[in-house]
Amino acid sequence: MSVAELKERHTAATATVNSLRERLKQRRQLLLDTDVSGYARSQGRSAISFSPTDLVCCRILQGHTGKIYSLDWTPERNRIVSASQDGRLIVWNALTSQKTHAIKLQCPWVMTCAFAPNGLSVACGGLDSVCSIFNLNSHVERDSIPVSRVLTGHKGYVYSCQYVPDQETRLITSSGDQTCVLWDVTTGQRISVFGGEFPSGHTASVLSVSINNSNSNMFVSGSCDATARLWDTRIASRAVRTYHGHQGDVNTVKFFPDGQRFGTGSDDSTCRLYDMRTGHQLQVYSQQHDADDDEVPIVTSIAFSLSGRLLFAGYSSGDCYVWDTLMAEVVLNLGTLQNSHESRISCLSLSSDGSALCTGSWDKNLKIWAFGGHRRVI
Amino acid sequence: MAANGEGEGPEARPPPPSMPQPTRTGDFLGKHRLSAAIARLNQEIQFLEKELNELETMETSAEACKEVFLSTEGRSDALLPVTPGPENPTWHRWFQRVRSSHSRRWWTSKGSSDIS
Repeated sequence: MSVAELKERHTAATATVNSLRERLKQRRQLLLDTDVSGYARSQGRSAISFSPTDLVCCRILQGHTGKIYSLDWTPERNRIVSASQDGRLIVWNALTSQKTHAIKLQCPWVMTCAFAPNGLSVACGGLDSVCSIFNLNSHVERDSIPVSRVLTGHKGYVYSCQYVPDQETRLITSSGDQTCVLWDVTTGQRISVFGGEFPSGHTASVLSVSINNSNSNMFVSGSCDATARLWDTRIASRAVRTYHGHQGDVNTVKFFPDGQRFGTGSDDSTCRLYDMRTGHQLQVYSQQHDADDDEVPIVTSIAFSLSGRLLFAGYSSGDCYVWDTLMAEVVLNLGTLQNSHESRISCLSLSSDGSALCTGSWDKNLKIWAFGGHRRVI
Repeated sequence: MAANGEGEGPEARPPPPSMPQPTRTGDFLGKHRLSAAIARLNQEIQFLEKELNELETMETSAEACKEVFLSTEGRSDALLPVTPGPENPTWHRWFQRVRSSHSRRWWTSKGSSDIS
């Protein structure tokens, strides 16, 4: 077959793919007979009501000298690791505000960090395209901790990393090379590569991952190709499902507490809730913006409260909207409270017992938010 | 794009001539890439058609919306003003006085699970 004939076939196949995708989109639209807020309203629910002093900033963690890019809590509740433009990881005791470790990185351009499930090591990655592991019990040398393992293999920046919850030795990274990788941390080997040249991999940089707490074989990824994809770690050859809807980069993904849904946040300024099994887009969380706004803010990071009733979303404007997940209404904006951040919120995460939210910002600070009002227990 | 060699085995092709003309080598590479791209597109078509078929018998979003609604009820949540119990006393630790060390460096002891 000649090149010309092959090119014709390629054009025809591309047209077929595009037409099928359009038909899928329309068929899906017909199946969306209600969204979460429509259903909640039909059950007579109304939005959560916060008093002005219910959620308060109870700690400010100061010490980084550059923008904060990433943070992660330990499962044991009180420690946080943060990564900053200043080229350091800092490990904090969030309760006492003390720094327990400061790690100067060989490559200062770090984008992501994560705590191991046992709290004894931390991982980070960034523009060096590798994921570095540090053992927190290591002997300190020259005011820092030596790297204990480097995971090499990505051919693009490492944008996010997360340890597999019940496995100390496994970690998933996502990268500018359009793949996610499952690693064995003890050997440094890649166990599986998700995407790349296979069909149904992401077609642009992968910015975030979230591993399902209920079933750690499943994880979702969010990408600059405006989709989220669900993967089964046992089947690297193809994404289980692709979730469309966003009109811009999907910067952040997070599983819903029931493990059957997940949330996303995007450059298109919306958050969305998807049903993992059916692929349905169950809710869009979108705020009206003033017509004379210079810039529509992007969603940088999200987290669900323990019950899933609240969706915390950090924005490039410095706002941190607290969405009522069921009613799709903003019930609080941490960005307008006392002691709010002065700049973009780049990352946020909930403590494992759900009692505190930590936000990280380009203003170089981390802040801890907790419920300090009168709580009614029913 | 990651050059992941795991799924693509070597194909049986005759080696290029020892003194290749640029146009022939260019053609060879072009055909190889195009064929690979077409194969990927065809596989994608298969999967998209499978997904379309799946949608024929798929339930609407109402069932999943109901599940979301039910899953948030009955779960205690430290950040809600009204929440089902039990209330965990450690939720209040953020507003209790914390004894902090005077020394500048302070490590948690190995295996400790809670600083307070």
